[in-house]
Amino acid sequence: MNWNYETTNFLIRLPISADDEESLFGLLKNPSASAHLPKSQLYTSVQTLDELRRATMRFQAREAATWLVERLTGSLEERAALAARITLTDINWMQASGRLQWELDESVTATELREILAAVEQFCFSDLALHRLELRMLPDADKHVALAGECGFQPEGVLPAQLEFEGQWVDHAVFGKLASDPA
Amino acid sequence: MKFTPTLEFEGGRVRTLEASDRDALFAVYQQPEVPGQRPLEKPEQLDRMIELGVQMAATQRGMMWALELGSAAEGYQLVGQVSAFDWQPSWLKVTFRIDALPVADMNVRALALQACIDFMADKYHLRNFAWQWIEGQNEAIKEMLAAAGFTFAARLRQAWRIGENEWRDVEQYHKVLSVADNAVTSVAGNNEGESVQ
Repeated sequence: MNWNYETTNFLIRLPISADDEESLFGLLKNPSASAHLPKSQLYTSVQTLDELRRATMRFQAREAATWLVERLTGSLEERAALAARITLTDINWMQASGRLQWELDESVTATELREILAAVEQFCFSDLALHRLELRMLPDADKHVALAGECGFQPEGVLPAQLEFEGQWVDHAVFGKLASDPA
Repeated sequence: MKFTPTLEFEGGRVRTLEASDRDALFAVYQQPEVPGQRPLEKPEQLDRMIELGVQMAATQRGMMWALELGSAAEGYQLVGQVSAFDWQPSWLKVTFRIDALPVADMNVRALALQACIDFMADKYHLRNFAWQWIEGQNEAIKEMLAAAGFTFAARLRQAWRIGENEWRDVEQYHKVLSVADNAVTSVAGNNEGESVQ
């Protein structure tokens, strides 16, 4: 199975722990990349190396997959920086479902995210034979909530008090997309 | 070490599962209430579940109780099972389900559920209790949940598989307690302000 693929404007590939530490830190050190997720800020690239190693272990256990997204077009600097990290977690092979999570560079537009997600969803629904993909995010993350809608994910509700973060109990807004949903 | 206590309520009790409950549980699982679940074929299939129930409680992954009707004076009859699963101690949350014979009406189930919630809130400081109602299940369960203080949170489309290419929606309900001083009080649903500790 080929886990790496290209769209018109992006290369979507599995990470390489030894090589992607700095570029992933470059993406994630900006708090806006994951402003819709309850997540502590990263301060050093060692933290992203740790995340990459954990991602490798979870991928080997068939629990999750992580893709790094690079631009195929634009200036050299634009192509050198990561545009996004897309993570597929909580894969439930029995229910044929999984949870997607994105972390985005500020430059990524809704149109570009649709292009990236269309490729990821195609892979999940066809190659992995999943039936349902879910997004969970902070209900008041307006930009990302709007992106979820623009990418065809339907709002399904808000799950209360899912975890504690920085002294506050955090709700999760849930969005779903089915393999059978119209494109 | 016994992790699953006996909890009494009006008209019955819940207690730890024992190996000798196998045949009575087998009768319960001949009438599965969850869409897509098939009747068990052999009582031996439950041996592992009873064993697992003890392990789950010991490692704080879940807890299973036998649900019984009756009284200490007249004796008890096993009519179902209360299960707490997907227990996440760090996030103080757990999900419940009840599998029971029709003789265990919704009033009994609500009382049993409340007894288990009170115990887990008191003993383990859990504060977020979830329930997943599967499309096609008894609608009266929703009324039971409302009476127990649960509120609707989300409808997860086609999140429950019942066949090779068939799924049902899942409605997720929550009861969230807030911790104030030494009392645990409900902040959602009909039991607002009720002390459970």
